[in-house]
Amino acid sequence: MAEEFEPKIVAFLCKWCSSAGSDLAGVSRMEYPPNVVPIQVMCSGSISPLYIFSAFNKGADGVLVSGCHPGDCHYIKGNLYARRRLNLVKRLLEYVGLEPQRFQMSWVSAAEGTKYTQIIKDFVKELKPLGPQAKLRRK
Amino acid sequence: MARIEDLKEEARKLLREGKLKYIIGYAMGSNGWMANPVFIKKPEEVDKLIWDPTCVHNLTRFLVDEKRRKAKEKQPDTRPVGIIVKGCDSRAIVVLLQEKFINRNDVYILGVSCEKAGVVDDHKLVKKLKGKKPKKIELGDKGQFIISTDEGKIEFPVGELLAERCLECKANFPVIYDVLSGEKIKKTLEKPFGSLEKIEALSAEERWNFWKAELDKCIRCYACRSVCPMCYCDECVIDSINMAVTADTSAEEKAQKIKWVQRSPEASENFVYHLVRAIHLGGRCIDCGECERACPLDIPLRFLNKKLEKEAQELFGYEVGFDPAQPSLISCFKDDDPEDFIR
Amino acid sequence: MKRTGVFICHCGINIAGTVDVKKVAQELSQHPGVVHAEDYVYMCSDPGQNLIIQAIKNKKLDHVVVACCSPNLHETTFRNASTAAGLNAFRCEIANIREQCSWVHKDKSKATQKATKIIKSTVEKVRRNESLEPLSVPVTRRAMVVGGGIAGIQAALDLANSGFEVILVERSPSIGGHMIQLSETFPTLDCSQCILTPKMVEVSKHPKVRLMTYSEVEEVSGYVGNFKVKILKKPTYVDKDKCNLCDECSIVCPVVVPNEFDLGLTGRRAIYIPFPQAIPASYTLDIKACPGLLPIACGKCADVCDAKAIDYDMKPQVLEEEVGAIIVATGYDLYDKENMAEYGYGKIPDVLDGLQFERLCSASGPTKGQILRPSDQKEPKEVVFIQCSGSRDPENHCAYCSKICCMYTIKHAMLYKHHVHDGQAYIFYIDIRSGGKGYEEFVQRAVEEDGVLYLRGKVSKIFEENGKVKVWGVDTLTGKPIEIDADMVVLAQAMRPSKGAQELAKKLKLALDKDGFLSEAHPKLRPVESVTSGMFLAGAAQAPKDIPEAVAQASGAAAKAITILSQERLFHAPTVAKVFTNLCTGCGMCVQVCPYDAITLKDGKVEINEVLCEGCGTCSATCLRSAIQVKNLSQNQVHEMINACLGG
Repeated sequence: MAEEFEPKIVAFLCKWCSSAGSDLAGVSRMEYPPNVVPIQVMCSGSISPLYIFSAFNKGADGVLVSGCHPGDCHYIKGNLYARRRLNLVKRLLEYVGLEPQRFQMSWVSAAEGTKYTQIIKDFVKELKPLGPQAKLRRK
Repeated sequence: MARIEDLKEEARKLLREGKLKYIIGYAMGSNGWMANPVFIKKPEEVDKLIWDPTCVHNLTRFLVDEKRRKAKEKQPDTRPVGIIVKGCDSRAIVVLLQEKFINRNDVYILGVSCEKAGVVDDHKLVKKLKGKKPKKIELGDKGQFIISTDEGKIEFPVGELLAERCLECKANFPVIYDVLSGEKIKKTLEKPFGSLEKIEALSAEERWNFWKAELDKCIRCYACRSVCPMCYCDECVIDSINMAVTADTSAEEKAQKIKWVQRSPEASENFVYHLVRAIHLGGRCIDCGECERACPLDIPLRFLNKKLEKEAQELFGYEVGFDPAQPSLISCFKDDDPEDFIR
Repeated sequence: MKRTGVFICHCGINIAGTVDVKKVAQELSQHPGVVHAEDYVYMCSDPGQNLIIQAIKNKKLDHVVVACCSPNLHETTFRNASTAAGLNAFRCEIANIREQCSWVHKDKSKATQKATKIIKSTVEKVRRNESLEPLSVPVTRRAMVVGGGIAGIQAALDLANSGFEVILVERSPSIGGHMIQLSETFPTLDCSQCILTPKMVEVSKHPKVRLMTYSEVEEVSGYVGNFKVKILKKPTYVDKDKCNLCDECSIVCPVVVPNEFDLGLTGRRAIYIPFPQAIPASYTLDIKACPGLLPIACGKCADVCDAKAIDYDMKPQVLEEEVGAIIVATGYDLYDKENMAEYGYGKIPDVLDGLQFERLCSASGPTKGQILRPSDQKEPKEVVFIQCSGSRDPENHCAYCSKICCMYTIKHAMLYKHHVHDGQAYIFYIDIRSGGKGYEEFVQRAVEEDGVLYLRGKVSKIFEENGKVKVWGVDTLTGKPIEIDADMVVLAQAMRPSKGAQELAKKLKLALDKDGFLSEAHPKLRPVESVTSGMFLAGAAQAPKDIPEAVAQASGAAAKAITILSQERLFHAPTVAKVFTNLCTGCGMCVQVCPYDAITLKDGKVEINEVLCEGCGTCSATCLRSAIQVKNLSQNQVHEMINACLGG
């Protein structure tokens, strides 16, 4: 039996909201696929476009960036800069032909363990039919 | 019509009075279809200056070199430098002012207006001339380019020879200047980003194939980076080929240097280089087209940078290169910035 | 010199039940730079911590990764253990393999693989961590309170009673704010001046309080614990220590101008005392109203002053002070009646706002406590009160609810009925918001005992006709239009931040919200702190509120200020940003994005104020040259973490 393709996802989670939301999913013993490896950063505002491109370059099939809802950023407005910057990154990646489902951004608060779980489940489901990301991956 | 004669008198005066260090301008090219950049230091050399549709270069890149030169000198000559700019070039100066790379009184801007024309695209010219050699190109009174050849003068309507970017020009007269030749004729564009439509209309796979074919060609010569006025960073983040390691370079600095891409010009690495360059030019690129002109493999780089210029305008209402007091695109935000892509 | 130790916790079966901890330890021991890898059942226990301490000492580890539960739980525990072993706390990092791995996955093999990646990623990060010590700055143990209303007074008293010197700055000649203008306060109907003046006297006499009235803050620089402020002391032209309040000066003063204390209902002279219980107890010469002192145009007041208290040569002074914390309590003003087009543009004399009506009720007011119409001094028999005037009206005026109007309107209606027994009071309302202690009972009392008539609807127009004020409204409960020929109308005007608050906020670099009120750091959990470290908010300056809330908030702000002032030195997390100046081109993008104004541009390069920096990293992501990095979370480290996460 051919092994099913398991997408590799890197998730950048902001410490104060999204990582805490992910922790809550754990405390609540929710279940989601193990395809996502999290990297905790201080703020979604600290996500440089270089991280996204590099993640794809190193073989990520999907990249998730998750931060606090607008107005709730622990550092006041880092997420609002992320919102603008990463919108440009997303549009640029789509423009050169990368499948739009591969780069996703979400607002997950510390109380939204359920939302985080659902986002991961949906992300893995959307990526499976696309197969491995070979376009930006270094050979 | 903009004429260089209007500017020569001012240029001579300023050089005579020692008010300017030198003037960067255009001189007659040797091949008849592209001007040469020229540095005029003495008033008697001012007659070398020309203005015609072969003046394709964005001379503002030389302001970057000037700053680097001054930084190395112990007692730099702080007089301003004169520079001849077209509308597009002047927007580059605006961005450099925005980022405090230069001060307003570091430059004396001699502006020329393209009015209803612009500069010539050499690829289109070659096709039209069918082997004839051009000696001189002028803009006529009736919206035509007049090309002098050995076999006499040939005329073409301006629209048939203009560089692609001139067809989408947002500023056909300088937006900042000290002295201006030519009229300020505002151009209204029906579709300011029309050239992108062809690529945008393709499917994702087709777009990938298009860009893969183009970026496969890239040899990472970095001509695009060298010629761009906005790529003034001493070390390029994405691939520094000039990291000066001296005895003073600390271990920390060496450790901080990140090898984001490998040197080899493989498609994946080329993509990352160009994507990072495009994103770093978001809100800064003013479409002077030099990167594309300088590229030895004819990669249509304009289409990459222009995409972000379009997104900046449409998503965030941000216009590049008109207001030196404006914050940079990524260092500001609006409360209603779109978030439809965020879950 | 990379000797990393990895410690993997079983957490009983919480982790070990899903993740093969022994296999993970085995794999990590093969990872480059890892010289020690072990697993243990409960790492956070004493024996567990001891394993770490012993390993650090015996194997001379220079970095430690503990793979266990979320860092929120035990990061401090393991960092303390590291310090106990002689290793800098910041060389110890946590890898979360429980909440974000073992607790959410069922497939053991995949969970184990993921745990391995998470730990390797953390190893790559911690290997590049530098030793850091918390930053410390000295603290000036003095506070400044801006605004001498009830909130400012309360905050000053709390600070002074805690032993700290306080400078209380008030721009008008006396402290007291708006509360001193009130007649009675709801729901107790306490005499406002009676409950406020004791506090005013206390604050003026307190040895730790320096009262600076008729003064304004000109400039603030510095940062938390170390603010430098410039205060402009305007000349009153009267020596407050000599003035004996005899009032002879104001009798001879030829100038009459509108009296701000009575909101224009009466006049005052150019030399005046705002109200009898003013503190400081002294007269003030209003130079704007005075015919002039250069040269002396009149001079009558100085002539009659027996106490020789008047000094025309007084000059403005700019005083420079150092403070460690600042509380802003600049209060409110009512929304101008001139903005109410539908209610007469503020031009109808018998249409008053809430504060003006308050002055009519007051025994020390323009009518000595009698309710009389400003137009003809007759007693009004029909008074219409309009709630939500200018509030809850996003299309024309203010969108928000001003919170106090329901309560003071019913108070006004009651007071009116107490003064004019045969009068009829109507209140046009949308809702009745009476949420505080005793508030609902107060409202019911007014309706039951004083016969106040509530009409649910808005008033569409007010105009004068035949000496009456015609009110056209609607009663939505009956669906009928209402016309009242009122003798007087009282508008419960919206509460606005006080005039001049915007300019002050700019000087202090305090953020304002969309309605112009001072922005709090977090609407739920940090209501008295501003976004700027060391500056706190109290009273109506932050949002419409009533007196008990203002007092509570003032005490809260004082407590917050005391957390700073009570320490000799302030400690701050050292994971702050750092500039690589040779890469910096001085473009200033980082300066623009920093939420804390911690970055400044100087001589073409940027500098970071480490005390203000919170280490969010927004600057780092913005910098096109990666010239600014956050210590112990640099882009280099994230690059390595990405690699490790993808199995590289």
